[in-house]
Amino acid sequence: MLSVTGISKTFPGVRALDGVDFTARAGEVHALIGENGAGKSTLIKVLTGVYRPDPGEGTMTYDGAEAAFATPLEAQHAGISTIYQEVNLVPLMSVARNLFLGREPRGRLGLIDFRRMHRAADEALRELGVRVDVRRPLRELGVGAQQMVALARAVSVDARVVIMDEPTSSLEPREVRTLFGVIRMLRERGIAVVYVSHRLEELYEICDAVTVLRDGRAVHTGPMAGLDRLRLVSLMLGREAGEVREEGRTEFTGGHQVTDAEPVLSARKLTARHHLREVGLDVRPGEVVGLGGLLGSGRSGTAKAIAGALPLDSGTVVVAGAPVRTGSTPAAIRAGISLLPEDRKAEGIVPGLSVRENIALAALPRLSRFGLVDEARIDRIVDTFIQRLRIKAAGPHQKVGELSGGNQQKVLLARWLAMHPKVLLLDEPTRGIDVGAKAEVQRLIDELAADGLGVLLISSDMEELIEGADRIVVLKDGAVVEELTGEAVTADRLMRAIATAPVGGPA
Amino acid sequence: MTQLTLGRVTADRDRLRRLLQDYGVYLGVAVLLLVNVAFTPHFLSAENFRTQAVQVAPVLIVALGMALAIGTEGVDLSVGSVMALATSLVSLYLGYGPWIALLVAVAGGLVVGLANGSLIAFVGVQPIVATLALMVAGRGLALVLLPQLKQVHDPGMAALGSGAVLGVPYLVLIAAGLALLTAFVVRRTTFGRQLLALGDSRPAARLAGLPVRRVLILVYAASGAFAAVAGVLATARLTASDPTSLGTLMELSAITAVVVGGTPLSGGRVRIGGTVAGAVLIQLLTATLIKHDLPPSWTQIAQAVVIVLAVYAARERGKR
Amino acid sequence: MKPISSLRRTSARALLATGLITSLALVSGCAKSEDDAAADKKPAAQGGSGGAAAASGTGAGGRTCTLDAFGGKKLDLKNATVGFSQSEKEANPFRIAETASLKAEAEKRGIKLLTANGQSQFSKQISDVQDLIAKGADLLVIAPLNSDGWQPVLSSARARHIPIVTVDRKINGTACKDYVSFIGSDFVEQGRRAADRMIEATGGKGELAILLGAAGNNVTTERTKGFEQRIEEKAPGLKVVFQQTGEFSREKGQSVTEQLIQSKPGIDGIYAENDEMGLGAVNALKGAGKQPGDVKIVTVDGTRSAVQGIVDGWIDGVIESNPRFGPLAFQTLDAFTKGQKVPQDIVIKDSAYTKDNAKADLAKAY
Repeated sequence: MLSVTGISKTFPGVRALDGVDFTARAGEVHALIGENGAGKSTLIKVLTGVYRPDPGEGTMTYDGAEAAFATPLEAQHAGISTIYQEVNLVPLMSVARNLFLGREPRGRLGLIDFRRMHRAADEALRELGVRVDVRRPLRELGVGAQQMVALARAVSVDARVVIMDEPTSSLEPREVRTLFGVIRMLRERGIAVVYVSHRLEELYEICDAVTVLRDGRAVHTGPMAGLDRLRLVSLMLGREAGEVREEGRTEFTGGHQVTDAEPVLSARKLTARHHLREVGLDVRPGEVVGLGGLLGSGRSGTAKAIAGALPLDSGTVVVAGAPVRTGSTPAAIRAGISLLPEDRKAEGIVPGLSVRENIALAALPRLSRFGLVDEARIDRIVDTFIQRLRIKAAGPHQKVGELSGGNQQKVLLARWLAMHPKVLLLDEPTRGIDVGAKAEVQRLIDELAADGLGVLLISSDMEELIEGADRIVVLKDGAVVEELTGEAVTADRLMRAIATAPVGGPA
Repeated sequence: MTQLTLGRVTADRDRLRRLLQDYGVYLGVAVLLLVNVAFTPHFLSAENFRTQAVQVAPVLIVALGMALAIGTEGVDLSVGSVMALATSLVSLYLGYGPWIALLVAVAGGLVVGLANGSLIAFVGVQPIVATLALMVAGRGLALVLLPQLKQVHDPGMAALGSGAVLGVPYLVLIAAGLALLTAFVVRRTTFGRQLLALGDSRPAARLAGLPVRRVLILVYAASGAFAAVAGVLATARLTASDPTSLGTLMELSAITAVVVGGTPLSGGRVRIGGTVAGAVLIQLLTATLIKHDLPPSWTQIAQAVVIVLAVYAARERGKR
Repeated sequence: MKPISSLRRTSARALLATGLITSLALVSGCAKSEDDAAADKKPAAQGGSGGAAAASGTGAGGRTCTLDAFGGKKLDLKNATVGFSQSEKEANPFRIAETASLKAEAEKRGIKLLTANGQSQFSKQISDVQDLIAKGADLLVIAPLNSDGWQPVLSSARARHIPIVTVDRKINGTACKDYVSFIGSDFVEQGRRAADRMIEATGGKGELAILLGAAGNNVTTERTKGFEQRIEEKAPGLKVVFQQTGEFSREKGQSVTEQLIQSKPGIDGIYAENDEMGLGAVNALKGAGKQPGDVKIVTVDGTRSAVQGIVDGWIDGVIESNPRFGPLAFQTLDAFTKGQKVPQDIVIKDSAYTKDNAKADLAKAY
């Protein structure tokens, strides 16, 4: 139905897609999977006309003829519908209006024929097994029902290809069942469905074929049935089991002096709707605990929850024996928890402020007297950290936004070290920074652990995780599935843990 | 080689542009001063400078608070209405003496500012919407309290409006004092640093554990209080409370002064010196056109040109 | 954990809200203005009877209207209900005096008067008028906010043969069909009379400044036109050297005058197109250390503060813009409903205040 061959897309400095082949067939549900930065969203955007592929490389055919969509609207008119994670409809308008937005049935005088529209909307939704009052505003519906409306809209515009980008990420289990019912119906009608998700169980349940993307290339295409889970995971992570070199690739020395002391951090039953289910873990002083799992498994959510940046429905966090109020960043910081967020540029650095101000930011209240900043003390601390972490900047007054990624990361580390934390939560601390800086950061993590800090490490770089961590807590669909300790901290065991079906069934 | 020189040329041009953005407002003031000295009769007199300074004082005070709000990537549209509210309150409470009246008026501005800040920090309303609501409600309340213009006879108020120390009018002294205070707060206090950080990157400030809500509330409270002070001073100068027209379009003048002064609308930066210069620039521009008896519509067009230039500069800054 | 924090937040908000409400209550509760303090509350000497002008309007142009031409039947005004639609909030002396004048005249004649206020919103005024009709008004007096956009109301009034008199501003429509008469001031004439006063005060020689009203307002253009015409005709020795807008506000009038006396210290006279700007000019002159009479000031409107300015010696003449439409409006309606001819355009007589009558007529000023 819709296929691309040898298609590429280059952005300044990055080759996001590199000669990718992909075919969505009529009456087939085709899974499109891959880790962060693999090129999934770029491919979807090429398919739907948001991006134009690099000229001269590869072809795109639709319904048997060569095709090129200049705009998303053009693709939509051609019969390619996309359903995004976030529903993009008009929340204040009625369900029926949303369904027929822009193509309302008209009566005499060109006015909207509401009765006809409501009847048609009701029928369309009933077909999908959804029963709601179509006259009510869309926003009164649950997220799942809203998604159904989006789906109904996609189907009713005579779509021939439906692309779903993580449609289940905010759905309840019951709603997932309904969604799957609809997808099966679409398949029977001969519609081509492209299904993007990180949840392996869902893929095995609903998909007929799978294409795995990695680093902008399609590394595997084939039928879903019969594909070994472990093989699927290793395809995504880019490592054959046993292929991972377990020494020498990183600066980690491995094996920290972990005392049997009481854990400095212990989290229990952290639960947040759509994010986490009863996640629990301990970090002892001097220990580096890794969080393993695929994209969307709840690694960042766990770190954010511990740091008070993700509101929890229930669960407790205890630092050095004292309970911490959850859902409050300042409370977590006061307790000695520091988080280096995954999105360094948006959530970490303050780009317009200087290196100096960025380092002093969190510690400001401690470096002030009666609300007045003690500049001399700040200078001393900033100088110390610039030297100790070897931050390369034109000077303490250079804007952080102008530094390289590695140095930005070091500035953030300095910001938190200035707070004398007890626990460091590092979410992808070495992503997107150059090799030299990466090594430095890794060495630094070792040093900090040696100094007695508890470290929680999240990394998509498998060597980093395996060599850096003393223990790995493996997450899947927002819950802990396994904990690897000692000899068990190997790539093989990690991938097996990720690949096994969870105990409690899909989220 | 060509590429290298080309690179250097663009870098030079870049630096020149940045210099113009940062110091253009001072250059503008200097140019206007020179033009006036050359072409405006009786311009070089103490009396004239006093007049310009007195006229700019209320605008400047409002602009100081506005600069803080804009520094947090917000804006305070209610300032003009707060001035009206303050003038009504002054009139209503003058029976207790000028000091009490002044305190009540400033307290009124503070309350409006706290309401703005709470709507923004707790309820999460967009600053432009929250302060727009209080812009409408504030003037309404001012007119309920004092339905029409009322003469102020209090000698204390009259002295505040027209008195001077060593030839420097009180109004100018107060405005200068508040400008210094604001500059000090922005540069030297924890609050100032936190304000800039959350204006530059709200998520980063939040994750760094800054008291984001408290800072936001304080910023809008300060803006409200400043606007109220400006309202009291304008009342003293006019020796009348005129809630119908006092402070109308003041939000625009203040925003213009701030933006022309080099504070970007995207937040994270507050330039108090630039704001002072921006207010002076607009004042001088208006004065020049009036003194030369150019058609009033020219004043509006000239102001529009200045705003467009400033916004253009802000855009370039944002892109960087 | 969660309930506690959310409770805390709610209570913080509640506290804040309570604080706001309390402070508002305080504001209105224990206010004490200068007047209260001085305890010399002046008797509200406002009324409809003021103004030497009262009922001596003149029919300009001579076109008239009768009941026969308009359609409808005779009725006795005494038993009729009159509706009055005011355009803006009574927040300035003109509107206050205008409404008071109509109310006073209705009371004097014993006529039932319904009133409504458009609060400066045209849509509200339109629905006000429709309400008045629905409430049974037999006749209407309208002070329109805009001149245009009245057709829907006018046609529903015409269907019921309800005679309409508009005051202070015209409605665009056909006289004696859409409405009966318009009663208002002649703003050009006001400008001419102000010029006469200025010529007298300055002796016909010197340099003049004009503080213009709001731009794009017909009052501004007409008051300017009359003034300039008359100066040109009668006093070639007077030159207008400065024209800037004070936007009808005291603050702007003051600021502009401050600039004026810096750059043209020798200015001889200032014509302010309303009292407020004139009073602002007085402030500026005082601030610059001028003495009463150094610069001649003539203003238009006739508010009490401006007339007081004459008494104090700062202002040399105030041309009145008469807001007391009550007597003329009811007189017109009375004559019309009796079947007499009434003029389609009636110019209300504006008086004037000078040094000679200011003190005596101060109480008449609105």
